[in-house]
Amino acid sequence: MTELENYLFSGIPIRTTLDNSTTVQYAGLLCQLTMKARSTVRDIDPQNDLTFLRIRSKKHEIMVAPDKEYLLIVIQNPCE
Amino acid sequence: MWLLVFCVVVWCAITSNPGCRVRQGSGTSLGSQRKGSLASGAYASRAARCRSQVTISYGKAADKGSPVDKKYAVRVFDDEGKDVTPHPLFHSDPDTAVPRQAKLLASSDYSGGVLSSFPMHQTGGDGSFVEPFSRRTCGNSSISKPNASTMEFMLDEIVEPGSQGDTAVSLSDVQVRQEETEEQLTEEDLDRRVDIYLTETETIWMLDMPSVVASVESEDAGRILERNKIYVDICKNRPGNDRFVEKMMQTINGAAKNKEVQCDKIVMEDKGMVVTSWDLYDSFNVSETEPTSKGEATNGKSSTSHMTKKHDQTASVTSARGNITSVTTLESAALARIHEGEKNRLEAILTSENFQQDLFFMERVLMENIFQPKLAAYRQFPVLIDPAVTSDNVSTVVAVKEAKQEEHDKGKKDKEAQKEALIDPSIPSDLNKALEETVPPSLEQLWSYTCDLTKGHNVSSMAWSKVNPDLLAVGYGAFDFKEQKKGLACCWSLKNPMWPERIFQCEHGVTALDFSMASPNLLAVGMYSGTITIYNVRSCTTTAILSSRDSSARHTGPVWQLKWLEQDRDTADDDKRERLISISADGRLTKWLIQKGLDCTDLMKIKRAGSMKKNLPCEKERKSVVLISRQAAGMCFDFHPKDTNFYLAGTEEGLIHKCSCSYDQQFLETYKGHKGPVYKVAWNPFSTDMFLSCSADWTIMLWHQNSQMPILTFSSTTTVVHDIMWSPKSVFIFAAANESRVEIWDLSVSILDPVITRFANPEAKFTSVLFAKNTDCLLVGDSRGEVSVFAPQNLAASSSTKVDALSDVISPALTT
Repeated sequence: MTELENYLFSGIPIRTTLDNSTTVQYAGLLCQLTMKARSTVRDIDPQNDLTFLRIRSKKHEIMVAPDKEYLLIVIQNPCE
Repeated sequence: MWLLVFCVVVWCAITSNPGCRVRQGSGTSLGSQRKGSLASGAYASRAARCRSQVTISYGKAADKGSPVDKKYAVRVFDDEGKDVTPHPLFHSDPDTAVPRQAKLLASSDYSGGVLSSFPMHQTGGDGSFVEPFSRRTCGNSSISKPNASTMEFMLDEIVEPGSQGDTAVSLSDVQVRQEETEEQLTEEDLDRRVDIYLTETETIWMLDMPSVVASVESEDAGRILERNKIYVDICKNRPGNDRFVEKMMQTINGAAKNKEVQCDKIVMEDKGMVVTSWDLYDSFNVSETEPTSKGEATNGKSSTSHMTKKHDQTASVTSARGNITSVTTLESAALARIHEGEKNRLEAILTSENFQQDLFFMERVLMENIFQPKLAAYRQFPVLIDPAVTSDNVSTVVAVKEAKQEEHDKGKKDKEAQKEALIDPSIPSDLNKALEETVPPSLEQLWSYTCDLTKGHNVSSMAWSKVNPDLLAVGYGAFDFKEQKKGLACCWSLKNPMWPERIFQCEHGVTALDFSMASPNLLAVGMYSGTITIYNVRSCTTTAILSSRDSSARHTGPVWQLKWLEQDRDTADDDKRERLISISADGRLTKWLIQKGLDCTDLMKIKRAGSMKKNLPCEKERKSVVLISRQAAGMCFDFHPKDTNFYLAGTEEGLIHKCSCSYDQQFLETYKGHKGPVYKVAWNPFSTDMFLSCSADWTIMLWHQNSQMPILTFSSTTTVVHDIMWSPKSVFIFAAANESRVEIWDLSVSILDPVITRFANPEAKFTSVLFAKNTDCLLVGDSRGEVSVFAPQNLAASSSTKVDALSDVISPALTT
């Protein structure tokens, strides 16, 4: 039901429960999105910082916990 | 130098009226001289004296444009015909083949006779140029008084100002000549359009003397006015006055030199950057965080250097063994080092605190996603329907309403039931209403707190945290002596129903626990061995902070109930403080103090009451009953909600004693009714004269504190009633956990039957109940280690809290 991935900011997956190609794809795309989100948050208030990012789509929910060194991504299917 | 002399000569000519003088040739054999008197205009006489004269022809010096070289435009010959053209003392650039000065002395031929006097008459004062000029020298060497001074003078005499023009000409000629050497003019060049740009420089102030203004009435006014008058007079007298002389002067233009330098091409680079406001903020703070980061960096470096040292050692060892392979091992060691470094970094990331915390949050978020509908129902929020999910709902409303059997997985059925119970736009509203009317109230299971760790343990007690209504402490321990094993106390949070937040492993089965009120992080746990331990929930460590295991006055029987209590009035002289009260099977009700360890004082020792003799009619005399102990095992207690001075204690004998804290020798009252051990007593929180008790004799009894006999008895099962609890919301409702089912009684509806009955799984036995404070939900713990959360559905909740309501309801029963 849930898949867990764990990336370095350079895009290298540290640990993942998905296949490699999907992992790398998610890594690249979400990395950029996280940076954009963080830039947005900090532009509004430089003392603020992004702690969590959730994207809800029709099929999944993607949750990203960014950090300085790594990126924790969890993809959850709905309970049904 | 010659130039300088020349200039001086020029200057003299200008200043002196007679104007043109003829420059004498060099001081050679030319002894001719000419007496010159500056002031007079006696040219003719002079001219007469000159026997020889030198004509100076002014050559083509005036012709600026001619490319012809004029080395000596001016030549001086003396009367012998020698060329006595003075050589220039100053040599300009060798490229420029023009000695300027020589030009000035242009002499074409020498002719005797007196030169016609040149109209050199000068009127006084004007520096007018006289044209044509010719020079005249008295070339006679035998002229009288050829004194050096005059010679010098003559030498010094400058040709008239015309020569000045000549000088200018000469200079320009020089320049022209210079230019000539550089380029050859062609016809095209002459036709070429030459653009001349005229620009005006900005005004250059040479001298700025601002006028000074003084007031007429000042002290200096008179003086100033006088001076002004004098000045005006002077100005008037100026023209024609001998005392005023106008002079002009030309300054020398310095020799210009052009110099060219070539440098390397300057490489230009364009660089663009988008600066955001947080970028600026970060750059400002970089200097502040640098020292700390440096410290961290050095730590990191030291650790990595340590690693590399280890690798060096191993590498050296391996290389010592095999010479041939030493190189390769070193290489591999180096590679390994790099990999190690990376691996270490990855390891560091995975084990870092940030990562753990992120995982923790992520887990909570996931749980929230999974359990969102249940949690919403718990909080009595309207449940959000996921639009992607509604397509799955095909079942009708009716099938849902019946209480389903408890399932271990909170799967889609419950969720569907949930949704359709609360919000379902697809069902027409009137049908819904009609259905609701006929549907009986039920308990809907939302979820259950369970995990692998707790499977198989019997839930013995549950307690809410006093501060955080979502934090639940559950104690796991068996009731029976035979089933004893290691116990567990877990703290569960609403945010994560799948894993407890805190796990405290205990040596013995946990039989009672309670959260403190005054220090909400303290959790007191009572065990089957009689030990009471206190844990700090705030910390992540699982060691107890206090334990009564080593206390001398510890309980010797299982602690069946614990409660933190704030007493209004204490027997001792202590001020109002929170005490931990415990009751145990050794018959003691003790009050514990936390003063450098658990210290206790007994509130009451429950004495065994003498057995009633009426059921032994055959006995004639009282036999002294030999008892193992004089104490009766206490099973439960409850302090009065209004007055914490007295309390009820239920015993294993089936008696309930009402006691007071201030008197520990005797009971105030004893209520006899139960035939088995009383497992729980509970005062009604609203109608405080009534209390409820449950016992192993399958009954629940409602008592009034003034009456020795129970008012009502509820017996609906043939199983032991383990736990009861009044609802915090309503005066009539209480819940009971029988072994096979959980019941909710509503006394306003019926006193004979429970309103809701929920059956347990065949393997599980319900052992404890707990009402939630902030919601209507009920928590039920069972013998499999699960704590299920139930939400009552369609309970006609009469949330009446009137004190007398209960007695009103009951009074019909009383009278009958």
